[in-house]
Amino acid sequence: MTAETGTYQAYRKWVTEKSTVPPRVSVVIPAYNEEWRILPTVGAIATHMCSRGEPWELIIADDGSTDTTVSLLQDLRFPNMTVLVAAKNTGKGDAVRRGMLAARGEFILFADADQSTPIEQFDHLMAKIDAGYDVVVGSRAAAGAAVSGKSALRKVLSRGLHVMVSVGFGIEIADTQCGFKLFTAPAARSLFTLQVVDGFSFDLELIYLAGRLGLTTAEVPVEWIDAPGSTVDAAKVSLQFVADLVKIKVHDLRGGYTVTGHSPVSRASSPASVASIK
Amino acid sequence: MRIRTESGIGHTTVSLAGRFDAHETADFRNVVDLLIRPENATLRLDLSNVVFVDSSALAELLRSQKAAKAIGGEVILVNVSDPVRIILELTELQQVFTLESRTDPTTTTS
Repeated sequence: MTAETGTYQAYRKWVTEKSTVPPRVSVVIPAYNEEWRILPTVGAIATHMCSRGEPWELIIADDGSTDTTVSLLQDLRFPNMTVLVAAKNTGKGDAVRRGMLAARGEFILFADADQSTPIEQFDHLMAKIDAGYDVVVGSRAAAGAAVSGKSALRKVLSRGLHVMVSVGFGIEIADTQCGFKLFTAPAARSLFTLQVVDGFSFDLELIYLAGRLGLTTAEVPVEWIDAPGSTVDAAKVSLQFVADLVKIKVHDLRGGYTVTGHSPVSRASSPASVASIK
Repeated sequence: MRIRTESGIGHTTVSLAGRFDAHETADFRNVVDLLIRPENATLRLDLSNVVFVDSSALAELLRSQKAAKAIGGEVILVNVSDPVRIILELTELQQVFTLESRTDPTTTTS
């Protein structure tokens, strides 16, 4: 028999008792045909979040999976986990948006389903939120990041796209696409309400909008390990990314991102700023 | 992932540390396949310092267990870390292995 640690006991409570207080943190995972990977990911996230000793919830935003992803999750019957089922595949951006807008936490993380950025990195992002930032972006390109297994093609594409993003949008964030980002609830609500891109480029749109809304954004280096089995075609996604850049720009020029009364005021009193944490 | 092997009279323990995922299964297999032998078919895997196991790693553990049982032995998981224990439970694979605690030398299946 293995001894029960405090973390394990917290986990058992989390999977058996509905929390009576609102979550401090929500973790959102978009999932499309992840039957092979989703349970280890849920286990890793649950272990770490339960070890933090604060109320939290898990939201899995299905993206029209055609495998057993949804039934695997629903069969767990975890009282503090919500599975948002989608009838059809509409894109990662749409899945994340549904999850983020359903989240009840004061702080909301979205993380990829493959654990390529280990959940332990959450603590580094949370430290920046505690320091007053509205949006904290996990980065594979910031100084101090530990990246392994990234293919040469993906590195070249990333650099090319970064140049386009930097020149075309004036975004200083070195890695807009890492699937590990943390938001305050008000920032998430405003950003994901304005978001129009449903595909993989939604991250770029969010960062662009964060600047437009005057939200303070920090970039934090993270550990990242390539997860084999990705169904993403890097070249195809890059082409779509370029098309989405145009879409975002045109949408903005047409006044599509009109800031309304519900848009947040940054927690910082200074104008919009971007910080790269070394 | 770091792999360390300790062998004594009648027992062998392999200690793993770090992230056990698809990138690591080949190295794991190379080590373990040499250790599971008819004269010493029971292998202990110390997982106290494993921070994550993915589905490929779980499949590899199952493969090892099957190989050990085929020659009358077994793979015993020792001091399973919290994340590994929870992932084994979620995938209902804890029933396939004997879990052993360092502070409790009696072995049980759970």
